Amino acid sequence: MINWIGFSTLTYREISRFFSVWRQTIVPGLITSGLYMIIFGLTLQKRISEIDGVSYTIYILPGLIMMNVITNALNNTASSMLQMKLLQQMQDMLITPLSNFEMALAFIIGGTLRGFINGILVLLLGMFLVQMPVEKPLLVLFLLFIVSWAFSSAGLLVGILSETWDNIATILNFFVTPLIFLGGVFYSIDMLPPFWRQISLVNPIYYVINGLRYSILNIGDTSFSISIIMTIFMTIVFTSISIWLFKIGFRIKN
Amino acid sequence: MELAVDIKDLKKSYKNTLALNGIDLKIKKGQFYGLLGPNGAGKTTTIGIITGLVKLEEGSVSIFGKDIIKDFRYTRSKIGVSPQDFNSDWFFSIEKLLLFQAGYYGIPSSNAKPIVEKIMKKLGIYEKRKNKIRSLSGGMKRRFQIAKALVNDPDILIMDEPTAGVDVELRHMLWDYLKEMHKNGKTILLTTHYIEEAEKLCDYVSIINEGRIVSEGKPEELIQSVGKGSIDVELNKMNKSKLDFLEPFKYTLSTKKDMDKIIFSVNNPEKSLPKIIDILTKNNCELNNVRILKPNLEDVFVSLTGRKIND
Repeated sequence: MINWIGFSTLTYREISRFFSVWRQTIVPGLITSGLYMIIFGLTLQKRISEIDGVSYTIYILPGLIMMNVITNALNNTASSMLQMKLLQQMQDMLITPLSNFEMALAFIIGGTLRGFINGILVLLLGMFLVQMPVEKPLLVLFLLFIVSWAFSSAGLLVGILSETWDNIATILNFFVTPLIFLGGVFYSIDMLPPFWRQISLVNPIYYVINGLRYSILNIGDTSFSISIIMTIFMTIVFTSISIWLFKIGFRIKN
Repeated sequence: MELAVDIKDLKKSYKNTLALNGIDLKIKKGQFYGLLGPNGAGKTTTIGIITGLVKLEEGSVSIFGKDIIKDFRYTRSKIGVSPQDFNSDWFFSIEKLLLFQAGYYGIPSSNAKPIVEKIMKKLGIYEKRKNKIRSLSGGMKRRFQIAKALVNDPDILIMDEPTAGVDVELRHMLWDYLKEMHKNGKTILLTTHYIEEAEKLCDYVSIINEGRIVSEGKPEELIQSVGKGSIDVELNKMNKSKLDFLEPFKYTLSTKKDMDKIIFSVNNPEKSLPKIIDILTKNNCELNNVRILKPNLEDVFVSLTGRKIND
């Protein structure tokens, strides 16, 4: 039997947590993406007028959206989890009739919502600022949701494994950010030399960006089916590992 | 009588340190049970296992006959815990945090509101309800900690060093509150290293040291088991050469400046006092001061372990 009230309370808490500091969790992504659109778009568009028949400013937008989704979803659960451990808030939950699965799920939903909201806002900004078309809106919503879920789960994993803020910063700065930038946010991998093109193909974030670019602009470097399979695969892997670690109490219970 | 908590052969290690080495505890429903021991004896680990904060390695724990692992939803709903350490939260007011806590126990928000309000008023934190934890004083934090333990109206209240670091006034207020809770039928498990606290509140005490229960029983029985107390009598005038009349007693003599002191070693100081005063006055001793020194749980601990509880 599920503790529905307990589960919804913790989910509500996780959502309220990031809304209570919206200047820190919602607005910055929007401003950064707007600046990318204006600065990169206006400067680079003079040199790269279009890629695959789409203006450069619009071409980079799906990547910018995914960059926001990934960093916000991941940051939310990672920081919430670590904060709860460091401030000893976890014990308030561990002593209650909430199962570890319910707790893990509530954390993931909180991060998913933050990633999804950030993605939608940047999407709307793009539609408003540069009149970006949206070819397959339902697919876009599905991808934003599933990628938010995947990286919220990854964030939970990072939060469980981390013992200091430095651990989280290391993972974000040395792994996640380079993978995002090398995942084709600002370019098509067809523009790369063959060796670097092959390297890009082992970057999972590349498929996520490619999938969204296809859904929004109907263009892509790789088949959409492969992108969606890779995205679902990542979601399953991150979700399973993070829930399992939570369930066994790894670095959560003494 | 029904057992509220039944712990069998509990063992736990942290890396190479053995924290619990076969703990057995039986706490009856309605009992005010004290777990007395020095820092690092295994009190918090025992509580951690009962409440699900610490992984169970060996042994078993049941709450009202239900296993804490298999029936965790039932057992945790029966327990309220006030941990030793304060936690913090950067985002929400203490009222909101209490409502969340009630929610985790499956209490709908509409039902939780009056419960939380009542507890906050009772513990004197209602005026601070919109504050965040970090803005509270140490005493207020302790009250908030106890309030959290009460939101689910638990049958078993576990208090881990509830008066650690609080002033005397608050300590007495908390003692009165705990007595009231006990009177209302709650089973209370109290861990403490304050001797006075255990003696005043508990009707049954286990003494824990180095991960083992070294003795258990009613406080008065444990105290009686170590036996001797003493009566110190200060005298203004005494003829040391004529002390034959003290022969029936076991005593020692000491002299400081112009004052003589006789220290009588007796089993029951209160019972022996009239007899001693009577015999001294009949033999022309001029009494200046009389002091009774009764044994306490500290003496029990010393006699069992060879060291003081707060060493």
